[in-house]
Amino acid sequence: MGLSNQIDKTKSYAGLMSLRWWLLAIAGTWALDYLLPSMLSPYIFQILVLAGINVILSVSLNLVNGFTGQFSMGHAGFMAVGGYLSAFLTTSLVEHRPDLMIDPVTGELLGTAVIFYFGSLILGGVAATLVGYIVGLPSLRLRGDYLAIVTLGFGEIIRVILLNTDAVGGARGLSGIKQFTNFGWVFTFVVITVFCVWRVVHSAHGRILQSIREDEIAATAMGVNTTQGKVRAFAMGAFFAGVAGGLFAHYLTTLNPGTFDFNRSFEVIIMVVLGGMGSISGSVVAAIVLTVLKEALRPLQQYTGVDLRMVIYALVLIIMMLARPKGIFGTKEIGDLFRGRKKVKGDLT
Amino acid sequence: MNPSFALKAENLTIMFGGLKAVSELNLEIPLGSIFGLIGPNGAGKTTVFNMLTGVYKPTSGSITHGPTGHRVDGKKPFEITRTGVARTFQNIRLFKDLTVLQNLLVAMDQNPSFKKYNLLPTLIHSRSMLDNEAAKQDAAIEILKIFKLEHRSDELSASLPYGDQRRLEIARAIATGARTLLLDEPAAGMNAHETTKLMDTIRDIRKRFNATILLIEHDMKLVMGICERIAVLDYGVKIAEGVPSEIQKNPRVIEAYLGKAATHDHAK
Repeated sequence: MGLSNQIDKTKSYAGLMSLRWWLLAIAGTWALDYLLPSMLSPYIFQILVLAGINVILSVSLNLVNGFTGQFSMGHAGFMAVGGYLSAFLTTSLVEHRPDLMIDPVTGELLGTAVIFYFGSLILGGVAATLVGYIVGLPSLRLRGDYLAIVTLGFGEIIRVILLNTDAVGGARGLSGIKQFTNFGWVFTFVVITVFCVWRVVHSAHGRILQSIREDEIAATAMGVNTTQGKVRAFAMGAFFAGVAGGLFAHYLTTLNPGTFDFNRSFEVIIMVVLGGMGSISGSVVAAIVLTVLKEALRPLQQYTGVDLRMVIYALVLIIMMLARPKGIFGTKEIGDLFRGRKKVKGDLT
Repeated sequence: MNPSFALKAENLTIMFGGLKAVSELNLEIPLGSIFGLIGPNGAGKTTVFNMLTGVYKPTSGSITHGPTGHRVDGKKPFEITRTGVARTFQNIRLFKDLTVLQNLLVAMDQNPSFKKYNLLPTLIHSRSMLDNEAAKQDAAIEILKIFKLEHRSDELSASLPYGDQRRLEIARAIATGARTLLLDEPAAGMNAHETTKLMDTIRDIRKRFNATILLIEHDMKLVMGICERIAVLDYGVKIAEGVPSEIQKNPRVIEAYLGKAATHDHAK
């Protein structure tokens, strides 16, 4: 029972998947990016890409809503900030410095342009983080319903600002964005998001967040700076939402403010709730299931001529909430289900 | 500088609107003592705790933490805890969905004797960050052993029996590194046997950690049994202070608890 033994214990507690497995996962996404197009129809491929973006959104929102217990409804706002900024950056570059982006002979994108794309994604994320910080600092003093209302209002403010900003196209939106985003990029960021959120949650920082969720008064009595913890979670969630916005923009190639209305925030919240507040794998699964479900129901609409899609979508949610009110996984992770750990944490008691 | 007190409140007053909940309170908790704060319901005991721990801001007066010499009035609760004053709650406030060990680790994370790591080492799992985590875990398990809770370390704290939950709360307060502990009705809801066990625990942690303990309690057996000094509050005013035997005989205290006639009978 030496210290090394304890370190091993910490490792297993921290869910240590060594760094190389994560890098391998990123390599895997690029391998799939290379292989899949020949195996799958472009339509299914598109669904996968959108599912990936939703995974980034739901996992990052889970950090705030699930692990920290702060009910934010402004995720689409952060997505808009990141999406618009990164799209604005790359389109401006194409316009003003085409020599950096486009091959003058073939008229196609240069290989090196990807660097600017990557940079714009990160900058979009950073901008969303800053906005998250500014919004979070005063509003995270509020709790429960009040925070939800403030963040909902924030999302609408962003949308209205964009609607009235001519530099980004106003109501017409931003078009002519180059399609940089592909399967590889999206799933690289999925892996990065899951990696970051996972490691943060299973660390001292994560314990701070969870203690805030469990009992804010007790947390502060234990020396936890709860405001700082909440703002950090909020800012980190905003970063990945911003990146997801950038990926989204460079996939659709056009943006308009309506894309980021509060329905978009709700969609992500539903994924988090359905997957389980406080379960990363739950968010991943729910994001994929809901994205696929929405598309899978499309043929039904063609047969019946009625938009049954939303009816079934809503029914699934109602049944879920009745059968498993804590979501698919509750606060467990997918691995816990197989290992049978955290037995007591069941929701059916 | 070697002050003889752990906490000192001077002229502590708090107003809620027009109501003076605590008035001109002077309190000096000797270093290393077990100090009792008693009084009838609504006397303002928990309000005093809330001021000492920063939950309420006193309207006037000062609070000084002896060992560091810092003024702590007006500071935020988490700052006061980091200075070295930790508390438990009247109605247990554990992190219910976290395990016993995690409950302690939350406090241990804020313990000033452990280093804090920012985002990058957390993400890449730097060696020193992991070592630090392991050391925190060791320290937490040590404390759990003292409280005989180590065999339950992986259970959810909500699943512990009531008495163990109370003791876990005390353990968690110690894990913050604070050596001035404020216990708000630690024996509430305990049976006689559990209370006796708790008295032993309190004495034991005082000795082991060189702690100073200030407690609010209604269980007179516990208060008279372990407190070296007692202060009595009534309607926000300190009406008596002294050793247990003095307090038991003090007519004003008897009056506050039992009414005027009782004092009269007692005098006869």
